[in-house]
Amino acid sequence: MSTVLYLIGEAFTNLRRNILVVTGAVLAVFVSLTLAFGALVFNELVRVNTLQWQEGEHIIIFLKDEGGPAAHRALLEEIQGFEEVRRAWYLDKAGAYREFQEMFSNQPALVETMTAAELPASIRVELDDISSYQEVQFRLVGHQLLRRLSVFSEGIERLLSLTQVLNSIGIGLVAVLGAAAVVLIANTIRMAIYARREEIAIMKLVGAGNWFIRVPFILEGATVGLLGGGLAVAAVYVSHQLLARVPTDILLRFQVQSDFLLQRGVLILTFGVIAGFLGSSLGLRRFLRV
Amino acid sequence: MIRLENVAKVYDGGIVAVREIDMDVRRGEFVFLVGPSGSGKSTLIRMCLREEKATKGKIWVAGKEITKMTSWRVPYLRRTVGTVFQDFKLLPNKTVAENVAFALKVTGRPRSVVRSQVPQVLELVGLSAKADRYPRQLSGGEQQRVSLARAFVNRPPILLADEPTGNLDPATSVGIMRLLDRINRTGTTVMMATHDHAIVDAMRRRVVQLERGRVVRDQAGSGYESSADLVDL
Ligand SMILES: Nc1ncnc2c1ncn2[C@@H]1O[C@H](COP(=O)(O)OP(=O)(O)OP(=O)(O)O)[C@@H](O)[C@H]1O
Ligand SMILES: [Mg+2]
Repeated sequence: MSTVLYLIGEAFTNLRRNILVVTGAVLAVFVSLTLAFGALVFNELVRVNTLQWQEGEHIIIFLKDEGGPAAHRALLEEIQGFEEVRRAWYLDKAGAYREFQEMFSNQPALVETMTAAELPASIRVELDDISSYQEVQFRLVGHQLLRRLSVFSEGIERLLSLTQVLNSIGIGLVAVLGAAAVVLIANTIRMAIYARREEIAIMKLVGAGNWFIRVPFILEGATVGLLGGGLAVAAVYVSHQLLARVPTDILLRFQVQSDFLLQRGVLILTFGVIAGFLGSSLGLRRFLRV
Repeated sequence: MIRLENVAKVYDGGIVAVREIDMDVRRGEFVFLVGPSGSGKSTLIRMCLREEKATKGKIWVAGKEITKMTSWRVPYLRRTVGTVFQDFKLLPNKTVAENVAFALKVTGRPRSVVRSQVPQVLELVGLSAKADRYPRQLSGGEQQRVSLARAFVNRPPILLADEPTGNLDPATSVGIMRLLDRINRTGTTVMMATHDHAIVDAMRRRVVQLERGRVVRDQAGSGYESSADLVDL
C-alpha cells in the first residue's frame, strides 16, 4: 500500500520535474484529441442534418383523376404493402389545395387563380431507407393512375454518398489522430527514460524490480493522456456551446444531443488514458532489460 | 557466500576480461581484490551482481546460482547484496534520507519501517544532521557514507565495493574503511576491489590478486604486494 503511494508520488515528482516536456506532450495530445473529437461531432452534425431530409415525404406520387378516390385508395393500399415503404398516406384534391394555399400564402394572386379541382390528388410516401426510392419508382412505372412521380430531393443520392464520404474521412481522421496521441505519449516517455537512464541504472543496482521502475512512467503517460483528453473535451464542449448560439435554420442545425456529447466526451477521456497506458508501455518496451 | 567456478567473461568484440577464476568467499570474510588496471576486478564484481553475465562457469551468491537465474529474479539478488562504487551512484534528485529510504522501498517495506530505520543508519554513518541535503551539497566522503548507509540499510549478507575510496583523500578513506570494517564485524561478507596500498596493508585481510583475468595470489592476512614477511603475521 505504501509502495503504491510512493510510486504515485514518484510519478508526480517526475511530471513536475519535466514540466516543459510534459506540457508539450499534453498540448500535442490535446490538439490531436480535439481534432478527433471534432471529427466525431462533425459527423454527428452531418447525420443530424441529413436526418431531417430523411424524415417525412420522400416520394410524392401525383395521381390521375380516373377511377376517383376508390381507385386511389386501392393504389394506396398496394403501396403500403411495398417492403421499402414505412408509411404512405393519401392527400385528396381538397388537401392539396390547402397545402398549396399554405405554400404560396405570400403570393395571393397565384392562389386565387387556382382551384381545388385543378390540383391533383397524391400519395405521399415515407421510405424506411431513402436510398431505396428507385425501387419504388420501378414498381410504379407505367401504372395507369400515375400522373407524375417526384422524389422530394433531387440530390438525395448525391447527399447520401457525400455523407458516407464525410463519415469515412471522419473515422479515418479519428483513427490517425488517436494513433498520433499514442505515439506522442510513447515518445515523451522514451525521452523521459532517456533523460533519467543513469538514475534508472542506479535504481536497478539497488534492487528495484522492473515494475517499480515502470509504474511511475506509466502513470506519467496516463496523466498526460488524461490531461490532453480532458482539455480536448473541454475545448469541444465550449466550441459546441458557441456554435449552438448560431441562429438555427430548419435545414441546418449546429447542435447535437447533449447525450451524444457526454458519451463521446467520456469516450475521448477514456481513450486519452488508454493512449497514455499504451504509449508509455510502448515507450518502455525494449527497455529495462536487466 | 560467494563462489566462482571456472568463470570466464568475454565482452562483445572478443575482449577477454576474465580468463578463468575459481574462488570461494566464506560467510563473514573480508576480501580485497587487487591487481593492475584492466585485470578484471570490476568485471568480477559486476558478474556477481548479474550486471554482466558470465560467458562460462558458475557463480553462487548467497546460496543461489546466479548464472542460471531468470532476469526477473535479479532484483531479489541485488537486494541481498549491498553495493558501493567509486562514483557513489546516488540519486541526484533525492535527499540523503530519500536515497537511503529508496533501498528499503524497493523491497516494499512499510513506511513505519522506513521511518525508523533510515535515521538509525544515518546515525551510524554520522550524517544525521545532513539527512535533508541533496548529494550535490555533500563532500565526496559524505556522499560515500550515504552510499554505504544505503548499501547497509537492508542488512544484506554481502557487501560488494568497487574502489569505494578511489575518489577520496587518505583521511576520508580511513573513515570509510572504518565503517566497512564495522559492517563486516556484524557478520556481513565484504568483497572490495581497490588500488589503495595503504588501506590493504593496514587492514591485513585476505587478498586476492588478479592479473589478466586470472587469480595469481590468494593470501589470508596479507598486504597489497606479495611479501613473504607479511604472511602469517
Ligand atoms: N563493457 C565492456 N565492454 C568491453 N570491454 C570491457 C567492458 N568493461 C571492461 N572491459 C574490458 O575488460 C577488461 C577488464 O576490465 P575491468 O573493468 O574488469 O578491469 P579492472 O580490474 O576493474 O580495472 P581498473 O582497476 O582500472 O578498474 C579491460 O580490458 C576492459 O577494457
Ligand atoms: Mg575497475
